[in-house]
Amino acid sequence: MRRFLWPLVALALVIIYPLVFTTPFQQRLGALILLYAIAASAWNIIGGYAGQVSVGHVVFFGCGAYAAMGAYSHFGLPPLAGIPAGIAAAVLIAAVIGVPTLRLSGHYFSMATIAVAELARLIVTNVEFLGAAVGLSGPTVPRTVFDLSFISALPYYYLFLAVLLITLGITWWMANSRMGFYLRAIKDSERAARSLGAPASRVKLYAFMLSAGLTSVAGALYAMIVGFVDPESGLGILVSVKMLIMAALGGAGLLFGPLVGAAILVPLEEISNNLLGGKGAGLTFVVYGAIIVIIARFQPGGILALINRLWAKRKTPKTPDTEAAAGASNAP
Amino acid sequence: MKLKHIVGLLSAAAMSVVLAGAASAQDKTVKIGMILPLSGNAASAGVHGKAAIETAVEIINTGNPGLGNLPVTKNAGLKGLGGAKVEVVFADNQGSPAVGQNQALRLITEEKVVALAGAYQSGITLTTSAIAEKYGIPFVNGESVAANLTERGFKWFFRVTPVASDFARIYLDFLKELKASGIKTDNVAIVHENTEYGTSVASVITSVFKENGLSIALDIPYAANTTDVQSQVLQLKDKKPDVLIMVSYTSDAILYAKTMQALDYKPPMMIADNSGFSDPSFIKTAGKLTQGIFNRSSFAIGAAGTPTYLINEIYKKKSGGDDLDDTAARQMQGFFVLVDAIDRAGSTEPAKIQAALKATDLKPDQLMMGYKGVKFDDKGQNILAAGLVIQLQDGENYVPVWPKQLAKTAPALPYKGW
Repeated sequence: MRRFLWPLVALALVIIYPLVFTTPFQQRLGALILLYAIAASAWNIIGGYAGQVSVGHVVFFGCGAYAAMGAYSHFGLPPLAGIPAGIAAAVLIAAVIGVPTLRLSGHYFSMATIAVAELARLIVTNVEFLGAAVGLSGPTVPRTVFDLSFISALPYYYLFLAVLLITLGITWWMANSRMGFYLRAIKDSERAARSLGAPASRVKLYAFMLSAGLTSVAGALYAMIVGFVDPESGLGILVSVKMLIMAALGGAGLLFGPLVGAAILVPLEEISNNLLGGKGAGLTFVVYGAIIVIIARFQPGGILALINRLWAKRKTPKTPDTEAAAGASNAP
Repeated sequence: MKLKHIVGLLSAAAMSVVLAGAASAQDKTVKIGMILPLSGNAASAGVHGKAAIETAVEIINTGNPGLGNLPVTKNAGLKGLGGAKVEVVFADNQGSPAVGQNQALRLITEEKVVALAGAYQSGITLTTSAIAEKYGIPFVNGESVAANLTERGFKWFFRVTPVASDFARIYLDFLKELKASGIKTDNVAIVHENTEYGTSVASVITSVFKENGLSIALDIPYAANTTDVQSQVLQLKDKKPDVLIMVSYTSDAILYAKTMQALDYKPPMMIADNSGFSDPSFIKTAGKLTQGIFNRSSFAIGAAGTPTYLINEIYKKKSGGDDLDDTAARQMQGFFVLVDAIDRAGSTEPAKIQAALKATDLKPDQLMMGYKGVKFDDKGQNILAAGLVIQLQDGENYVPVWPKQLAKTAPALPYKGW
């Protein structure tokens, strides 16, 4: 029973948050935290659980964002209608690039994914149908409620929360299925896993495709709340890096790690920009970067791994929390 | 599982920060939000824009009777609002459409600004003005040129700057006049960098020229961060266009100037589309290699004692010595148009400011830019925006050469180079 207590309390707090913090900016901040948590959680499947550090995930993010905006600007459909196409494109691309690149190990996989992402950005910059360098925009004035173009961030907040719960649910199910055990074994030592008969290539590819599909949903939701996508914001390498940093900071390979990372980094970025951005001295990124460096230096396993460790230390481990145990062994 | 504690703490921190900011609003000030790229790729432009707006605020708040008929400069503060002072809240868009939106939302709902201006990059102007539209807050843009900005049916968006099609028409009319005087202008080549700015300007020039029976014989896109443009220059050397139009940022503009010298290539006529070629660092580094290059501008510093000269003198103190460039000047003009509307509205109510903006009818002598006036159409575009052709002559100075009534000297041809 205790296992479910804290997640339920957490869920209740997340549901209540926008009702307690009611200004538009706070609600939007909440929505953005959930949005980035979705993206980082999706990345976590391949990057955290399987240990394949993809720096090209923005390709899948872009698939979703462009599909949503394309559905509106080319076919006059609500952006929502682009989501299935975005998922299909992302999964297909993941399959096509996954087969050759997932054979690479360590840094080489990361490098290959960077190359793919940059290639995608350059191609899209020159494709007129996708708005080329100018980008595609969504409906500013909603035609029907299905356009999901709201003034308040509140509807977005609960929409994103629902999607995040689904994403975490899928991740949890995967982590506790046979596939999850295969992935953890591959992460620890691919050679050992293979020698024991784990179908490493196939499992990694499935995880990559699953991760890509979910990342694409995050991209579509991003495009909906912002109402615009261009090659830099939809396919720029920084978006990939953000997903990676959030997951790593919170705790890569832990179910709630990306959420913790997003809950720290998104407000940090916004608040430091609010306070320092207007000065025009570029201080925002100095502060932002410094905090990331400090955390990376003193807690490379991620914040959640630290919390889990302290928690486990405090209550003498009679029945160790399964997740905490998994977290300790999975910390990169 | 303590992660919610962290969320709670951070949210509390966010709220206290926000409350502290909102409490200090004084009556008798008019708060305007200005979104600029103060960090990221375009930070240099953003910082210059900030200095330009600070210059305008100083002029408006202290009064400067020496500035001719420029509105809201005669006396200290805004007459229409009982001498109220203008306060600008700057926000950094970090070069991201999403961050720009967050800041627009913060400025409107937390800082309670009565109007917004900015946001430099067309894509970010697009997303930030969407927030202003939803909240019913006037948004005045002085610098973004993407065509689609005024095609969205917005009621709160006003754009003062000339757009790409205006520039294209300036080049077209200029070339037509030269052709009439017997100069060969039939074979036109465009070389442009391949991101939004270069692509959109080049495509607009191409279509405007086509409508008027002038075709573009050669179109060469390139990446602005390239380190080698020899193949592009050799291609030009081979095709020998009569007129070369360049759409470039700064570092690539310098690279082209140096490569053309190295490969000894001089087109008979070269037109540069502002941007990189107007950057003071381009003129310092490569001005001596590009003598006789034409450029477009809507701003000229003018002779000592003129209003534009005086404005530039104040600006130089804020910018660390740099002269006011065309982009920053257009931002400043946009800001003046907005403040003039607020002054005429005599109110900080958004609907009244919007009505005053719609009624804007400024004459050329009321502007710091070389526009034919400021008057908005139903889409919010200034229909009297215009520009002039300038030429780099005798070292490091751009001088107005066209149209005739604004020219200081005649256009010198052919292109001299180095």
